[in-house]
Amino acid sequence: MAQTVPIPHGMKEARRRENIAGYLFMAPSLLFFIGFVIFPMGMCLVTSFFNYTMTEFTFTGLKNYQIMFGDSVFIKALVNTIVIVVVSVPITCMFSLWVASVIYKMRQLHTSFFRCVFYLPVVTGSVAVTVVWKWIFNNYTGVLNYVCKALGIISTNVNWLGDPGTALWCIITILLTTSVGQPIVLYVSALSNVDHSLVEAASVDGATNMQTFWRIKWPQIMPTTLYILVITTINSFQCFALIQLLTSGGPNHATETIMYYIYYNAFKLQNYGYGSAMGIILAIIIAIFSAIQFRLAKTDNG
Amino acid sequence: MKKLLALLLCLMLMIPAFALAEDVEITLWTYPIGSWTDDAVVSDLLADFNAVHPEIKVNVQFLDYVSGDDQVTTAIEAKTTPDIIFEGPERLVANWGAAGKMLPLNELFEEEAGKAIYEGVAGSCKGKDGNYYEYPLCMTAHCMVINKKAFEAADAMQYIDAEKHTWTTEGFENACKALAATGFTPVTGIVYCGGQGGDQGTRALVYNLYSGRFTNEDFTKYTIDSEENIKGLQKLYDMVQEGLLTADPGIVAAEEINYFCNGTSAMGFCWNAALETNNKDNLAENVEVFPMAFPSDDGVPTLDGGIWGFGVFNNGDDAKAAAAKEFIRFMCNGNTKAVYATGYFATRDMEDIYTGTEKEINASYSIFAPYFGGYYQIAPNWPVQRTAWWNLLQRIFATGNIADEVAVYLSEVQ
Repeated sequence: MAQTVPIPHGMKEARRRENIAGYLFMAPSLLFFIGFVIFPMGMCLVTSFFNYTMTEFTFTGLKNYQIMFGDSVFIKALVNTIVIVVVSVPITCMFSLWVASVIYKMRQLHTSFFRCVFYLPVVTGSVAVTVVWKWIFNNYTGVLNYVCKALGIISTNVNWLGDPGTALWCIITILLTTSVGQPIVLYVSALSNVDHSLVEAASVDGATNMQTFWRIKWPQIMPTTLYILVITTINSFQCFALIQLLTSGGPNHATETIMYYIYYNAFKLQNYGYGSAMGIILAIIIAIFSAIQFRLAKTDNG
Repeated sequence: MKKLLALLLCLMLMIPAFALAEDVEITLWTYPIGSWTDDAVVSDLLADFNAVHPEIKVNVQFLDYVSGDDQVTTAIEAKTTPDIIFEGPERLVANWGAAGKMLPLNELFEEEAGKAIYEGVAGSCKGKDGNYYEYPLCMTAHCMVINKKAFEAADAMQYIDAEKHTWTTEGFENACKALAATGFTPVTGIVYCGGQGGDQGTRALVYNLYSGRFTNEDFTKYTIDSEENIKGLQKLYDMVQEGLLTADPGIVAAEEINYFCNGTSAMGFCWNAALETNNKDNLAENVEVFPMAFPSDDGVPTLDGGIWGFGVFNNGDDAKAAAAKEFIRFMCNGNTKAVYATGYFATRDMEDIYTGTEKEINASYSIFAPYFGGYYQIAPNWPVQRTAWWNLLQRIFATGNIADEVAVYLSEVQ
């Protein structure tokens, strides 16, 4: 049985002071976090049980939640959101890993150049990016229609953002361009930190590039992959700015996402309680997805 | 000695407090109404105001129609609303007024200057509870516009009454056929339905085609399911299917106006006097503006009106509310400069303010005044209706199932 060694009084005092100092350093961030994250979350949960509009604030229990699951637009928004996540998250991760695998071996200058190129849409700002894409997808004078017609892919102009069959895919395409920047930078960094002695040893032992990647590099970049998966999933679930700036959820709710529908109910219809209820459901879904990803990544990591 | 010094210091500290008690600082939020988006124009108007009322300082914030409503909604919930807001009855009366967020302005209407406001206009500023929540400054009739050069190239001017600026539904259809056949512009007209911006244009287009009404005469019930309106929606859908018009769920009116101005489209469904003034430098060479009323089966249109004025938010500060009312009196009671800045017309008898000025063209829009319909935008659930309308058009153009989609729309708005 292990014996507990008593801590001398002086050391206890020092540790107490250290803890106080730690908490004091943490206090500004903690206050900010409580004030702007925890408190609004709590308010959101509370208001989700109320019929809260510009003129009413009456307790309705779970009624908002009942209405939600009978609301065909909410269901459509949920399906669209899941499609965005399921399509964009794997593509973002795979594309980022592929690009990072290629560029991290290059000379420093070239690596930096490509990192900048791919990171540019992230720092450009969604409004500027959206304006450019809107011009590309323009029904009448857009460059995409021009190119597709020149290549014989289409014979008449396609209203890319106005057609229910293409609008969501346009949104996903734009989302991909704005999502890959950060994962590429992270993967380049993670791949550069892989223990080269292990790679060399594997190479000496006759391992192929693929074997080296999956057996040596992949396990070492797994924490980065997990982080990228979780962040990309959350960002995809919270896709809002692109929808608001490009389609307002249309045509015919084809690009409606839960985030946009929350905004639509809260700000356009001033139905704050219902919007809050949807926010709670979205948070639960994101938490479930993230937990699954943590679980799978933990299993893979062995 | 020390006591005397302390007393003097206290008195000195109180001097600015006394001075401030007389000064009031108020905030004005203004939507983009004519040149009320232009800082220089508004500053000039405020300078005039401060020459008379130096004790009232007015801070201005300019809103736009994309995010303005969100800003106001946020401000209402955060209790940080401005003192004065400049917009129309659909927001001031039907939305924020009905929700009890605005102060009644009845006393302004009871004054001599208030009684000079046209009766119909004043009625549009009154809420269902009998209180006035807007004091009107200006008004106009929303119309549509055609590119005269495109119409001439397609020999389509024969389908319009160029003197009255009106046309029939049959003439409109024939004109679209001629325009589509000629191809002077890439598209004839765009029925935009990507959002609520400029939705008065698509509403007027639909209900005029067969002389319907958007609401009943009391403005208490939406009547989009009337036989005339269903026929209007069907006609619009058919014309889109035949390629005579383009339905675009990807754009709102602001973009449609750009497409008209740059010569992409031969007509625009969202237009008025101020838009012509504001866009005079944006017109392509092959575009000549010719404002038109909306087509109707009998050639007698009903046009949506725009009435803009000031409302006062109930912020619980009597001094600020009094200052806000003083500001409104100054701007609205016969201030020609304030009306001129809007590019629209006064809501009371006023001399011609446009002839001989750089906005001379605006005077010609008075031709549409006889077609001004009732101000139905104060109907119940108006904010819900506004979002439901463009969604209805999107669904109709996607499915073609007009009766069912109208039923869904009515279930949302009634």
